[in-house]
Amino acid sequence: MSTRRLLAATTVATAAAIGAALVAGCGSSPPAGSSSSTAISFTDASCGGTWHLARPGWHTFEITNEADYGAEVDLTNPASGAVYDELQNIGPGTTVAMTLDVGSGTYAFLCEVEDFDPVAGPTVTVAGHQAGTRTVLPITYNDLYPLAKEYAKYTEAGLQVLAGQTSTLAADLRAGNLTAAKREWLTAHLQYETLGAAYDAFGNFDDEIDGRADAVGVNSSQWTGFYRLEYGLWHGQSVQELVPVADTLNTDVHKLLAWWPSQQVPLIDIGLRTHEILENALEFQLTGHDDYGSGTTLATTLANIQGTRYLLSLLHPLLAPRDPQLPQIYTGLNLLQSLIEKERLQNGWWVPVSSLPTAARQQIDAACDQVLQVLAPIASIAEPRNTANEF
Amino acid sequence: MSSESAEPPEDTGVPERPEVAERPEVAEGPEAAGPAEPGDSRVRPGRRSFLRGVAGGVAGGVVAGAAGGYAYRGSGARPDPAAVANLAALQGRLPAVPFHGTHQAGILPEPKAATAVISFNATAENRAELTDLFRMVTERARFLTAGGTPPVVGIGGPSSDSGTLGPTVVPDGLTVTFGVGSTLFDDRYGLASQLPAHLTPMKSFPNDNLDPAQCGGDLILQLTAGNEDVVLHALRDIAKNTRGGMQANWRIHGFSSPARPPGTVPRNQLGFMDGIANPAVTNVPEMNELVWVQPGAAGEPAWTAGGSYFVVRLIRMFVEFWDRVDVYEQQLMFGRYRASGYPLDADGIYATPDYAADPTGEVIPLTAHMRLANPRTPQTAQNRILRRAWNYDRGLDQVGDLDVGLIFTCYQQDVKRQFETVQTRLIDEPLVDYISPVGGGYFLALPGVVDDTDYFGRALLA
Repeated sequence: MSTRRLLAATTVATAAAIGAALVAGCGSSPPAGSSSSTAISFTDASCGGTWHLARPGWHTFEITNEADYGAEVDLTNPASGAVYDELQNIGPGTTVAMTLDVGSGTYAFLCEVEDFDPVAGPTVTVAGHQAGTRTVLPITYNDLYPLAKEYAKYTEAGLQVLAGQTSTLAADLRAGNLTAAKREWLTAHLQYETLGAAYDAFGNFDDEIDGRADAVGVNSSQWTGFYRLEYGLWHGQSVQELVPVADTLNTDVHKLLAWWPSQQVPLIDIGLRTHEILENALEFQLTGHDDYGSGTTLATTLANIQGTRYLLSLLHPLLAPRDPQLPQIYTGLNLLQSLIEKERLQNGWWVPVSSLPTAARQQIDAACDQVLQVLAPIASIAEPRNTANEF
Repeated sequence: MSSESAEPPEDTGVPERPEVAERPEVAEGPEAAGPAEPGDSRVRPGRRSFLRGVAGGVAGGVVAGAAGGYAYRGSGARPDPAAVANLAALQGRLPAVPFHGTHQAGILPEPKAATAVISFNATAENRAELTDLFRMVTERARFLTAGGTPPVVGIGGPSSDSGTLGPTVVPDGLTVTFGVGSTLFDDRYGLASQLPAHLTPMKSFPNDNLDPAQCGGDLILQLTAGNEDVVLHALRDIAKNTRGGMQANWRIHGFSSPARPPGTVPRNQLGFMDGIANPAVTNVPEMNELVWVQPGAAGEPAWTAGGSYFVVRLIRMFVEFWDRVDVYEQQLMFGRYRASGYPLDADGIYATPDYAADPTGEVIPLTAHMRLANPRTPQTAQNRILRRAWNYDRGLDQVGDLDVGLIFTCYQQDVKRQFETVQTRLIDEPLVDYISPVGGGYFLALPGVVDDTDYFGRALLA
């Protein structure tokens, strides 16, 4: 029985994205020197003239920004608003090329000069029955606002739970109970790691609560937070030494909890973090870099998976019609999770990644690599975009 | 011997890489053995003719060879000075090497300037996923070796290509060679009964210092091209498209030096010309005797026909120590002059040393590397291998010495009969003080992918 279909997932995804290129070698490529070209220029009030293609195929649009500000240009299907290709950050006075396989269908440019309403260009029909670069339906700011609110609420609830846990942790240490402190440390750290904080959500608070020793060294008094406490708990440091560390952690978590509700989650982050959380897990947890003694980086990765799943649950209705790899994402996360859960010890602790047999470690790393590969497109798909219909 | 006047070449161009002066092809070299039939004509179509064949778009040297030779030989025209190919190489514009063929296209050609050898373990969960993996490696190799413009993804995701070669992927002579190790044939994929007859884990020889982390692997991939950026681009592309199916174990990149002086043979980092002789890759019967697994070969599963056993050895060279050794002593260890590449008893790179006239090793010591590797007797002809080597350079060791050496690879029909026999003769040769094999493995380079509907290992996995 197959529980993942990972390679199949890759094949499907690649086939969707790459199409004929795989079947015919360079079949989807423009034959050298034969790619046609059209000049398109736009201002803040106009979006290019009409254009004509005798037949579908690879084509280059030389797009010139004649406005006074930076701009973005989308090539869209005007009927659906779906986007074939996009150029961002076109400086005033500059010309940028957009080269794509223009299939049979209808096209219109959408020009979005900074601080101006988007302007649609004329609709152009390319005749025939030949598929080209596929479209993706854009996700709008309005689509994402409610998700950001949900996400902020989820985070606040998570921080409230966390604050209780760090209070308990500080109390355990003041009571001199190192065994209980280690357990509570793990519980609290994993709670923090479910919050998507792995990628910059909490600004400087993240450095204080979950900072690494790399920049300052393990003996620095500037190093605070979960990892500092882990280092002390698992390197025989005394209760007296660790009480202030735990207290500072607890204080910082409560400060974050108080600060958080005044924050807005940038809309673009929702899509970005769907892969960035696990990018960090791969870089810092699965490598063992962030193991300061407890050997629990696999558990941290599980918490990061949980955070990723939450973001996906928010985005799911938007992604379902847009991302053909969505089923492979869930399959991939399930596989990664099941592989990691095999490494949980009877006593509730974890096999350190450095102690994993090679085969087990390669399975986990490969599963993480694979799910990242299929998660990555979400950042592009879920980037908030303007559409002609919204204006 | 006709080869005594093989130097200098008739070319007056600038025959740097990839072309080397036409020369006779005899087998020898650090881990090669060759025939020493007296009177045997050693003038065979040299590497130039092979490259010409490829450059002319002939689909695979073997096919061309089987058809009776290479285009230029029939036409009588030898159009280009080597400088043309050299310019193409410098510009990263070596022509595409046709991917499809009975045998993999990367096995016979002379080393191009840049290579990478990467070992992987399969992480595919079952046979179906493993098949998907082999199909994907095939598809990516087919595209990368042909080149072209990667597809546009639009807002659907990150770019389909890393962009490290610019907007268009150049082939630059890229070859992708894919092989399997014995560990793939355990119980994971139900392949145990399909184990190739001569595929085992790599043997550790008495002078080896093998690091398990740099040895073996279920799968091996070698990428070779005119430039390092093309090699690395191909690796990133293949890895990106096969995540989940295989996980890299070890990797090494190497280079093949330009022949200096032009028209000679590329040198290793001990300063000696490396692998002066090899079986003639244009000689189809000889390739069938030495390199390719033959259909119906005793004990071989049918799917292996057209493949070739691929031995990889990562050989550290202690160049600091070596550089403190008198050149005369160095030459005795190899049996050749360092500057000219000539055997110590002869006047040409490709001249045949006359061991019969030197039975006690007065001129070429009995323990000289080339004498042990290639005794040049009729009995040792069947031990010959097709030897391919690149230099590697990867930083420093713990005492600050350079971690440089050789990526030795060779192809053969039977590892025991060929590589292991030659390597056994080399045990305790004087050179062992200056080199140290640290990694590598034994693999079977899969049979070629014959057409657009075929894929690597189809006969194994179907």
